[in-house]
Amino acid sequence: MDGAELAGKIVYTWLTLVLGFILLPSAFGVSLGISELYMKILVKTLEWATLRIEKGVSKESVLKNSASVGIIQRDESPMEKGLSGLRGRDFELSDVFYFSKKGLEAIVEDEVTQRFSSEELVSWNLLTRTNVNFQYISPKLTMVWVLGVIVRYCVLLPLRVTLAFIGISFLVIGTTLVGQLPESSLKNRLSELVHLTCCRICVRALSGTIHYHNKQYRPQKGGICVANHTSPIDVLILTTDGCYAMVGQVHGGLMGIIQRAMVKACPHVWFERSEMKDRHLVTERLREHIADKKKLPILIFPEGTCINNTSVMMFKKGSFEIGGTIYPVAIKYNPQFGDAFWNSSKYNMVSYLLRVMTSWAIVCDVWYMPPMTREEGEDAVQFANRVKSAIAIQGGLTELPWDGGLKRAKVKDTYKEEQQKNYSKMLVGNGSLNSELD
Amino acid sequence: MGATHSASEEVRELEGKTGFSSDQIEQLHRRFKHLSGDQPTIRKENFNNIPDLELNPIRSKIVRAFFDNRNLRKGPSGLADEINFEDFLTIMSYFRPIDTTMDEEQVQLCRKEKLRFLFHMYDSDSDGRITLEEYRNVVEELLSGNPHIEKESVRSIADGAMMEAASVCVGRMEPDQVYEGITFDDFLKIWQGIDIETKMHVRFLNVETIALCH
Repeated sequence: MDGAELAGKIVYTWLTLVLGFILLPSAFGVSLGISELYMKILVKTLEWATLRIEKGVSKESVLKNSASVGIIQRDESPMEKGLSGLRGRDFELSDVFYFSKKGLEAIVEDEVTQRFSSEELVSWNLLTRTNVNFQYISPKLTMVWVLGVIVRYCVLLPLRVTLAFIGISFLVIGTTLVGQLPESSLKNRLSELVHLTCCRICVRALSGTIHYHNKQYRPQKGGICVANHTSPIDVLILTTDGCYAMVGQVHGGLMGIIQRAMVKACPHVWFERSEMKDRHLVTERLREHIADKKKLPILIFPEGTCINNTSVMMFKKGSFEIGGTIYPVAIKYNPQFGDAFWNSSKYNMVSYLLRVMTSWAIVCDVWYMPPMTREEGEDAVQFANRVKSAIAIQGGLTELPWDGGLKRAKVKDTYKEEQQKNYSKMLVGNGSLNSELD
Repeated sequence: MGATHSASEEVRELEGKTGFSSDQIEQLHRRFKHLSGDQPTIRKENFNNIPDLELNPIRSKIVRAFFDNRNLRKGPSGLADEINFEDFLTIMSYFRPIDTTMDEEQVQLCRKEKLRFLFHMYDSDSDGRITLEEYRNVVEELLSGNPHIEKESVRSIADGAMMEAASVCVGRMEPDQVYEGITFDDFLKIWQGIDIETKMHVRFLNVETIALCH
């Protein structure tokens, strides 16, 4: 019986440690400083690794220049300039030059698909998944890497999985229990406590280090919180610092259980799949929600899909038509410690979570921004763009006018026609055609 | 760990054939794999996933140019079904900027190659002449998006341009002389003395790999 006893003892000690060092402090919102220590050690190790790589570099160097520089220098001049050079007459064979050049540039590299793959790093962070370009440098480095693998998979991963498990079960049980209580301020406070504790546990399950800036602009009740979307973890990150009402589709399975439990404790807005298609219905329900000033602010991600955190894509106007005050929030992850981007076409949820849990850490910055409302004479699209620019500037991301839906769908015909209209306008505008034409 | 260059000889061969540097070839190879979905060859359908390309009015001609046997130097006419990485690089090399260190003869040769690429784009039936029909076809494609331009005006644009071309190439024509179409030599004549180099090249960056401190 010794083996079983020993195993039992180990598990017991393990759980006690976890409880003492992680769970209790999170319930009280206190930090013991273990994560900070871990991060310091990690940063030092990565710096050392970078220096090693530099020393080992010879003429045939190994690291890439910059993550986002492309392979071609695109000619960004507008169409008029590009075509004007050779024109003497109405229509030249030369116009084909311009378009074929543009076409080739698009084939070699296009701005949009770049955004749907993970950001490339400048220096290696000792994770094999990012070392596309790195070659073997030295035995010391390899040893550190092996050590890193052991630490990540054998020490960190079990710990994180345990925490995640505890966190989620606590959430489900806690919210169900709180849901039994009658409506009262006690219930709200308890539900907040439960939500916050579980989120903190889950964030520690990912070794998350989050810096919140400008906490004075934190979203208030009765408002709408809008943020850029990189992964499902965004939700965790935001809810650790405040409670929100979430909006989304009803899922089945584990997600469904969590959703049903959560809605008992506090009013989230979950839609059936069929209801999502009816935009009016959705807008109405959301309007009702924010009209009640006692309800928590709604959390919405207007991009509609996960982008790789180097840019912000088009914000869908639906969320901006509801009215009310918008609280923009910018989230920027530090890719050095772990890649948070969920490439849903490449990885499913489970493998994504596994990857995240075996990274070093998730480090990110969250900036709360002053609230914005729609101005007179501004329509929903313009308002959406204004908010998008503000978020992009704050988070240091580039702005793209493209629709995140391009990850899966093709360009709408209306866009194509725009380009062609522009071109033909130029042609006809030169005026030496028949005067019948306008 | 790290990328092993087991195919470095192939890379050197490609360097010689197409004139790209090994870093550029590596980058283009990754782009090729992305476009082909990790297959060894690309088909026409693979070009459908590029949003930027969708906006281009002569998109179909550009895609076709990739599969054109004349551009691939595989035959006098016809289209290939699929192309491999070497073919991909061959087409890309038409758009490399002309190296200023080359001598006059080489420069002329490069120019000719580029113009020939363009000629093939117009001459869709590979008969060596751009006929009025083919020309009209290109103009229509370029103007296809605009609902305000009617077929008639498209035709007149094309006709006007053909007349210009004819006057440059053949000089004065007799009233009943029929202009067959623009041959490649005529095409060259039209462009003589005009600097097309800047219009038809894509500046491939030399991705200098240097170590950076983070």
